[in-house]
Amino acid sequence: MKIMTIKYLCFSLLAIAVLGACSNDDGMAGMQQATCGDGIMNGSETGVDCGGMYCSPCETMGMNPDFSGTYSQADHMGRPGINTVLGYDMEGQPSVKDAQNVTIPSEMAAAFRAGFEARLEQYYDVYANKLGLDPNDINYEPNILGLDATTLTTVLAADVLEVAPDAPTTYFDPGTDLDNDGRILVPDGDEVGLTGRRLQDDVIDISLILLFGGQEGDRFSGQDLDMDGQADLPRLTSDGVALTAENITDTFPYAGAPE
Amino acid sequence: MGASALVMAGIVLVAADHIDAPSTAGTTADIADFYAFEPVEGSDHTVFVVDLQSNVLPELAYGTFDEGVLTEINLDLDGDLVEDYVIQAIPRDGHMYFFAGAPATTGLDSKVMTDLPLGEVEISGPDAIVATTDNGVSLFAGPRQDPFFFDFFRFNAVIDPAVDSAPDGFLPPDQATDTFDGANTLSIVVEIPNGMLGSASAQNALGIPVYKTWVTTNSKQ
Repeated sequence: MKIMTIKYLCFSLLAIAVLGACSNDDGMAGMQQATCGDGIMNGSETGVDCGGMYCSPCETMGMNPDFSGTYSQADHMGRPGINTVLGYDMEGQPSVKDAQNVTIPSEMAAAFRAGFEARLEQYYDVYANKLGLDPNDINYEPNILGLDATTLTTVLAADVLEVAPDAPTTYFDPGTDLDNDGRILVPDGDEVGLTGRRLQDDVIDISLILLFGGQEGDRFSGQDLDMDGQADLPRLTSDGVALTAENITDTFPYAGAPE
Repeated sequence: MGASALVMAGIVLVAADHIDAPSTAGTTADIADFYAFEPVEGSDHTVFVVDLQSNVLPELAYGTFDEGVLTEINLDLDGDLVEDYVIQAIPRDGHMYFFAGAPATTGLDSKVMTDLPLGEVEISGPDAIVATTDNGVSLFAGPRQDPFFFDFFRFNAVIDPAVDSAPDGFLPPDQATDTFDGANTLSIVVEIPNGMLGSASAQNALGIPVYKTWVTTNSKQ
């Protein structure tokens, strides 16, 4: 109701302004001012139908919100999925996530890398136990990016999302066996990615591949080693689900209408 | 105590940052997700999507933007992981107000950069209301479908240390369930010309120039 009142007031002011402008034979200015009552922010307006070169200042129309005060950081997010998987402490409590939410990115690697690496190894121990194997024998191995556990967790602990201004957006695609060595292993020249995150990207599967896929990306992917029709290794490189949000569009605002 | 026990104890953990820490989970400051992408190949704009709150589980806060929460999209241009450009969004009286530019100070405390207005947009209902500023910035704030997908409850079983909990790992596609199917979230979307953001001298691991970006929510003190 308040907005409607403001807009009506603006329109009235506009009408006076336009009439005034016309009586001064200033037709161009009158045309510009015509946008001050159309209900959208356009022209040089800094708000809907206010501000800018031609409309009444927003604040004189009662649209002068109070933005004063200090705002202190409550939550943080960069890369998706990583804190979901590695943000727990060794007791399974998400205390690391709490701490990371109020840590600046330049200090994150020093604060959280070691915990992330310990947690990553703990996952391998969990599955060694589930498979009845010695946890000392089942450890993280360098992934498809060739990163060892320390390097990987150094990268992941600094929780930022990279987006390239001048390259297509690909979260990560290891490509194919371009160098014909029988392996997808990166880098072989056709891998692309780390250039942003689209709404439809399967970031969980990529995270799982980087954490549990080894250098070919498929180290623990439910393989049936003895061909008896039963998986002998756990499926840890995909959660098995694909995009279900069908409302995504290719025009702004991209995110689909609510359900 | 394993993660599945945490869920049974009633502590809600949801994901990408949907899964959050106890201090922010289920609050109006809870970041659900963050996306940054080129809108179409070859575009000189970048799109940022911030999802706040979620109704993926009925216990979670979901409904309206909180006027006491300032959302900030941070960009580091040179790779030192310190923000060089900040886009702020804060709601007032049914509108989302945006401010953007080089911040006067960095760190955990912020003030609204009222001397650097970017624009404003009426907060949408089910139908999207979009504002486009003179300098080519598109703005949106309102409820949207949550595009994130993850078999989150199976994940809890996978990471449970109990030896009989999901020994086969995740489920095959015909048995897996997207926990987020049907969920909605509160989105803030900004599409902005790269020329306003500045030149990226940071590089990713493949040598491509990138902005390093992250989103924060900040509560009024």
